[in-house]
Amino acid sequence: MTDGATAGLFLDAAGMKALGASIAIAVTGLASAIAEKDIGTAAIGAMAENEGLFGKGLILTVIPETIVIFGLVVALLINSA
Amino acid sequence: MPLLENLWGKKPSRKSDKKKKGSSNYAYAVTRVRAMKSKLLPKESYPRLLNMGIDEITRFIQESEYKNDVDELAMKYSGGDLAEHALNRNLALTYDKLVRITTGELNYLVVAYLKRYDIWNIKTLLRGKLYNASVEDILESLIAAGEFTYTSMSELAAKATYQEVIEGLKYTEYYPLLQKFDGTNLAYIENELDKMYYAGLFEAIGKPRSKDRKLFTKVVKLEVDVKNLINLFRLKKAGVVQLDEIMPLMIEGGLELKTEKLASLQYDEFVNELQRTQYWDAISGVTGSDMASLNTLESRLTRYYLESSTILSHVSPITVVPILDYIIHKNNEATNLRIIFRGKETGLSDELIKDQLVII
Repeated sequence: MTDGATAGLFLDAAGMKALGASIAIAVTGLASAIAEKDIGTAAIGAMAENEGLFGKGLILTVIPETIVIFGLVVALLINSA
Repeated sequence: MPLLENLWGKKPSRKSDKKKKGSSNYAYAVTRVRAMKSKLLPKESYPRLLNMGIDEITRFIQESEYKNDVDELAMKYSGGDLAEHALNRNLALTYDKLVRITTGELNYLVVAYLKRYDIWNIKTLLRGKLYNASVEDILESLIAAGEFTYTSMSELAAKATYQEVIEGLKYTEYYPLLQKFDGTNLAYIENELDKMYYAGLFEAIGKPRSKDRKLFTKVVKLEVDVKNLINLFRLKKAGVVQLDEIMPLMIEGGLELKTEKLASLQYDEFVNELQRTQYWDAISGVTGSDMASLNTLESRLTRYYLESSTILSHVSPITVVPILDYIIHKNNEATNLRIIFRGKETGLSDELIKDQLVII
């Protein structure tokens, strides 16, 4: 049995850590997806008219990827704590 | 059952804006349209165009965005006619593209705005038939950018009389009004068609609640004001003072101008009254009662309208306004090129042609 002071109602400490890490990844993943959706479609719109914008479009599209990378870092930190 | 009637009844339960089904693709459409706007002719090219002959201008636009249109039509037409057809074809295809690349709410607003070309085409057909223009001449001026297709318009243009044209439009919303056309009241019908367009547009927008529709309304209202103001200046200059002669020519729904009050004033008071409006900065200096022509004033007002729509499009980048801004700038470009072509063709001086252009 786990100690009620250090664990949640259903999970022990390791479980809570895993849950925290998964939330960090899941929420930042969704946030990146939402941000990239609009930037990606906008980039394709611009590229449809001017193919030369491919490079810029690609870079701008992946910038929100940093959000999920931060999430990954936080998840790893939680896991290793 | 009352519950089911409420759910499925004829009256829409939704109190907010009328909306086309489906989500809008603002990011895609707006960015694509901005890329399209960057391809419009830069203002530096107009002085060069003014120095060219008709064939050189045709070659110049053949190397620009109008390449496909000129190539396609070069077999059938030549000279000024080729350019006119190419411009109209390009305009129609561009606007058709806008309708295709937008979805949902955005598409609904763009389609409502582009209905003006249906009105344009109906006016062209009626004028053409009334003055016995050839089918070729009528086709030259048709811009199939609205809901009517070029094929259906060509069929109407091939009819012998204006009565047949009106019968051909039997199943459109314009038929009840067109029935009043008796061959002598063209100006009245044209005014009413314009009013009908703006009334229809305001009805399509509904009571604007979303930011998108509010801005859209603002641009349209600004356009109405500019049109009314130009008409007021023309009427005042022509010496028309009767309120009951002026008011039927005014379009309702402007942004700032109180047309009834302005219409009742004498020229000097009218100009004084305008000093309190946002349009004064654009027109101050060209409103003297001794001016020979209204060209400068009209082009300044049009320029003000174009600039205002651009500013609004920057203020709210992800709305319908950048698309509206593109539509009016593209139209302005086509109008400018048409003025240059026709001006050169009729041998007008470069200075006179330049006065007519709205270069932005």
